Amino acid sequence: MHELSIAMSIVEIACEEAGRQGAGPVDEVHLKMGKDSGVVSDALLFSWELACEGTRAEGARLLIDHQPGRDLQVSAIVVLVDNDTAPH
Amino acid sequence: MTPRLIEVRKNVLKKNDELARSLRDRFHQAEVRVVSLVSSPGSGKTALLEKILTLLSKTHRVAALVGDLATENDAVRLARSGVPVRQIVTGTVCHLEAQMVETALDGWSLDDLDILFIENVGNLVCPASYDLGEDLRLVLLSVTEGEDKPLKYPTIFNTADVAVLTKIDLAAAVEFDLEAAMRNIEAVRPGMKVLATSAKTGEGLDDLLALIKAGR
Repeated sequence: MHELSIAMSIVEIACEEAGRQGAGPVDEVHLKMGKDSGVVSDALLFSWELACEGTRAEGARLLIDHQPGRDLQVSAIVVLVDNDTAPH
Repeated sequence: MTPRLIEVRKNVLKKNDELARSLRDRFHQAEVRVVSLVSSPGSGKTALLEKILTLLSKTHRVAALVGDLATENDAVRLARSGVPVRQIVTGTVCHLEAQMVETALDGWSLDDLDILFIENVGNLVCPASYDLGEDLRLVLLSVTEGEDKPLKYPTIFNTADVAVLTKIDLAAAVEFDLEAAMRNIEAVRPGMKVLATSAKTGEGLDDLLALIKAGR
């Protein structure tokens, strides 16, 4: 069960990126998960909520895209931005 | 509040992978061959390693790092071989990471070593995700575990270089089906080299040592 530490790494990456972009809370995290990454998606989803607690990703959804190979990559995040700063 | 999509494309294990790469560079520069062992708990990693360390220490400068959740029992056992051994106590972490290896090496001069062993935490799942900078990863499977382990845990077999069957001296007693085991390993990892060994009788250890030394 190393999924909690994996979940925490994912949250860290997502929050760092959101912070860099000066965005608000993270709403979604998109993850590409290789079949041979050694990570079990059920266990990862189970740990997800706990890993997000107290971060700007609290309440965010984790969307997993299963793929062949070993990669485990945060492909994108969806952040919420203030309407007055959002591009029109 | 408006949702906005941001491309990230960041590898989750990037930190570990980068650190493992820098460890691998350090090992190569110092000409140290690094061999890691992964398996489930109780498959005979420590018994096999104790034997290997004793045999190799006659001709090579060897050392070992050994990971466990708790206790220094394995380090104490391995130290009986007379070579430098350090225990990595991981606490609640179910695998070794490159960072732990780097920390554990602190104060050791790699130039004084020919071969370094890393015994991972007994676990067939989590260690598969973490590169430790090793040259050779051995996955151990004891005859008492059953022939279908490779089918149940394909990832660990896919990330290892060589499969080592252990406790082969007990094969008859537990009605171990060697052919089925070989077939199952071949099914998950076609072409994988398999060695049958016994730390007790010494069977297969010559071949294993040759593989570990690989020109050293």
